Amino acid sequence: MNTTIDVLPALQRRDWKELASGFLIRHIMVVVMLLIVAFFAYRSARFATPDNLTNILIAAAPFALIALGQTLVILTGGIDLSVGSVMAASAMAAAWTATNAGDSPMLPLVAAVVTGLLAGSINGLIVSKFEVPPFITTLGMLTLASGIAYVIGNGAPINGLPASFGSFANTQILGLTLPVILMIIAILVLAFVMKRTNYGLRVYAIGGNRLAAEIAGVRSRNILFSVYAISGVLAGLSGLMLASRVITGAPNLGQGYELDAIAAVVIGGASLMGGRGTVWGTAIGLLLIQTINNGLDLLLVPAYWQNVIKGVIIVAAVGVDVWAARRGRR
Amino acid sequence: MSTVQSDDRGPVVPMLECSGITMSFGGIPVLKGITFALEPGTVTALAGENGAGKSTLMKIASGQYRPDDGQVQVRGQHLPSGNAQAAYSLGVAIVPQELASIPEMMVYENLFIGRELKNGIGILDRRAMIQAAKGYLEEFGLETDPKSRMKTLPVGVRQIIEIIKATHRGARVLLLDEPTSAIAEREVARLAGIVRSLRDQGVAILFTTHKMEEIRAMADRVVVLRDGKLVSDTPLAAITDDGIVTAMIGRELDQLFPERPDAGTQSVLEVDSLVIAPGAEPVSFTVKSGEILGLAGLVGAGRTELIECIYGIRKPVSGTVRVSGTTLKPGAPLSSIARNLAIVPEDRKGAGAVLSMSVLDNATLPRIAAFSKFGVLNGRQRRDAVGTIMKSMRLKSNGLDQHLDNLSGGNQQKVVFGRWLTGPVDALLLDEPTRGVDVGARSEIYRIITELSSAGMAVVMASSDMPEILSLSHRAFVMRDLGVVGELDRAQLDSPTVQDTIFRLASGQNAAPVKDTMP
Repeated sequence: MNTTIDVLPALQRRDWKELASGFLIRHIMVVVMLLIVAFFAYRSARFATPDNLTNILIAAAPFALIALGQTLVILTGGIDLSVGSVMAASAMAAAWTATNAGDSPMLPLVAAVVTGLLAGSINGLIVSKFEVPPFITTLGMLTLASGIAYVIGNGAPINGLPASFGSFANTQILGLTLPVILMIIAILVLAFVMKRTNYGLRVYAIGGNRLAAEIAGVRSRNILFSVYAISGVLAGLSGLMLASRVITGAPNLGQGYELDAIAAVVIGGASLMGGRGTVWGTAIGLLLIQTINNGLDLLLVPAYWQNVIKGVIIVAAVGVDVWAARRGRR
Repeated sequence: MSTVQSDDRGPVVPMLECSGITMSFGGIPVLKGITFALEPGTVTALAGENGAGKSTLMKIASGQYRPDDGQVQVRGQHLPSGNAQAAYSLGVAIVPQELASIPEMMVYENLFIGRELKNGIGILDRRAMIQAAKGYLEEFGLETDPKSRMKTLPVGVRQIIEIIKATHRGARVLLLDEPTSAIAEREVARLAGIVRSLRDQGVAILFTTHKMEEIRAMADRVVVLRDGKLVSDTPLAAITDDGIVTAMIGRELDQLFPERPDAGTQSVLEVDSLVIAPGAEPVSFTVKSGEILGLAGLVGAGRTELIECIYGIRKPVSGTVRVSGTTLKPGAPLSSIARNLAIVPEDRKGAGAVLSMSVLDNATLPRIAAFSKFGVLNGRQRRDAVGTIMKSMRLKSNGLDQHLDNLSGGNQQKVVFGRWLTGPVDALLLDEPTRGVDVGARSEIYRIITELSSAGMAVVMASSDMPEILSLSHRAFVMRDLGVVGELDRAQLDSPTVQDTIFRLASGQNAAPVKDTMP
């Protein structure tokens, strides 16, 4: 690279100490994560075992997909509050299809994906075309999709599903369940897309400065539409996996999941104003939350106290990130 | 200069005294040892071209910046370096170019913000504040309702309210940064009246401008900065207009602007009966290869709107734009880019660059398709292409991965320019290409513009900077009321009375001997 080095004396006098502290500051969340892991490993003999790692991954999988969709939406400066309800509506649609269309795993899958896509597309259309603020649009969809979920089941869960319905969550390949594999694939694919493709660059651009992006030839409406549609599809898949694990369609499934997804994205260092954040960051944030959940369970902390501790850790983690970012800029 | 006799109050110490102020940004010196003082009851004009260091000096005098060297004294007291709060409590107030009012709040709330009036039990006493605000406004000749929202008022009125806010809190030194840059003609007259009445109350006022008429209308004394140096400090009566202009521009003008080769003959950008807004006069012109067409006019004359309509950020009412013979789709930037049209918008931070992205990503965006296959970016290829261009732009950065919000204005502008040059550009639209750019980078941007045009690009350049229009363009239009009201050719641009001619056309006092393009 042949660009001239600017006259910033601090940056020319780099020594080891600065490099090391710079590295720590840039990867502060990984450090926080390791500290938490070390704490749980010290306190519980069952924490640092392969079985428990698998448990954490299985618990993380349904959150992973919606957190990844949420990452794209938040990068554009928006937010998708509807993902939890869309999960429920998709799961109910899949369960209904399974009871009425015989013992095929394909049709419920199609039903879940189509439901998610439909909900996401409606969000995307309203946000991009009619310029209704995303918060309002997706808040409306949250209520609407939840209503649909109850309508499909006539207010009750759908039980007695064929065994094939359980195959999504319970099939194992190389010792990992399908949802875990899907999570890993989704993280890798989206990390590549956001870092190495036109689409990724454009998402960052409209989140950073929509007008400037449009002037540089980005069709911002199309991009905006797409992130909500993707978030919807991922919520649909995630709803199906959650329902499949217990082979039941429950209309209250996924309730409140949107908040954990948003928390994961924000812990991962994304800005709610858009333009800043990474897929890797979200993956770390997601694992952090799930590790805390799992560790507190193992330590037999009562459920209500778990929420209190989790709340404190989320704000503290982001606080550390903000502090590190400010130091890093200096 | 230290003390003067003033009325019958005996000798007075200067209200504000700067001595040996030196400052540089990112290695580029902006102020080089500035020394001057403001006496009570005087109005001093701080004149100089864009980038001469006026705003920086103001920010140092008001304690917002810490100078590298030198010190500021307020009424004989030392102002701690870079302490805005201390300057404020010593009675130094600044009304910045970009107003700091809160648009959603009411006028009286803005006036009393931070020192609200309260009644006995600590509840806001709105009635008393409204009453007091009414008094202040009347004192300054405003009939504005104290309960109107700030955002509903014209910029000129908001500015006067900012001045009221500063002075009714006891400011004895008032710094006005470009107070007239965004306000209408008759508001300038009102501002001048207010400045004079404050002067009569003993306030020391310093204002920046680069317009001659305003210096004449308001100031007692003029201090001229050029290239960071104080080149002249005289009573207004002792210097002629030409004297001020010579001091402002000096011999620098020749060095700042490169030689301009003759324009070509091939028509590149053809604008045909473009109507910018309902009721506006249609605009038609052709720009040839290698030609720079300047667009002059006052704020709000329609220069930005014209450029936005040509490019497609704004949809024109009617009319067509052709680049190299191909008609553009109106209101579609993507089609303009495909036809090799490029733009450098006026508002660099709002419309030019994505500050949260790196140099590399910003420079990739307009020509993203050229750097990718099946939607996947070719890392090496774009890094090479962008690196080469940014080197030719002499970009100062810590590599291509540096984020734009860590670059200076001039370097950001180089990225906004350079990002187009990784592919062919037939026509280039520039809107205030050197706004907020320091002197060093400014001459480089002039060099770039001239090089691009001599390489065959057709250039349209809107600018409020008179020397820029006069020294870079082959031809210039003067705009008023969203239409073109006059055209000046090369010979006219070189005539000594050209500034006056442009001013008359732009302000609507049509009496100048120019060929009129309107039927």
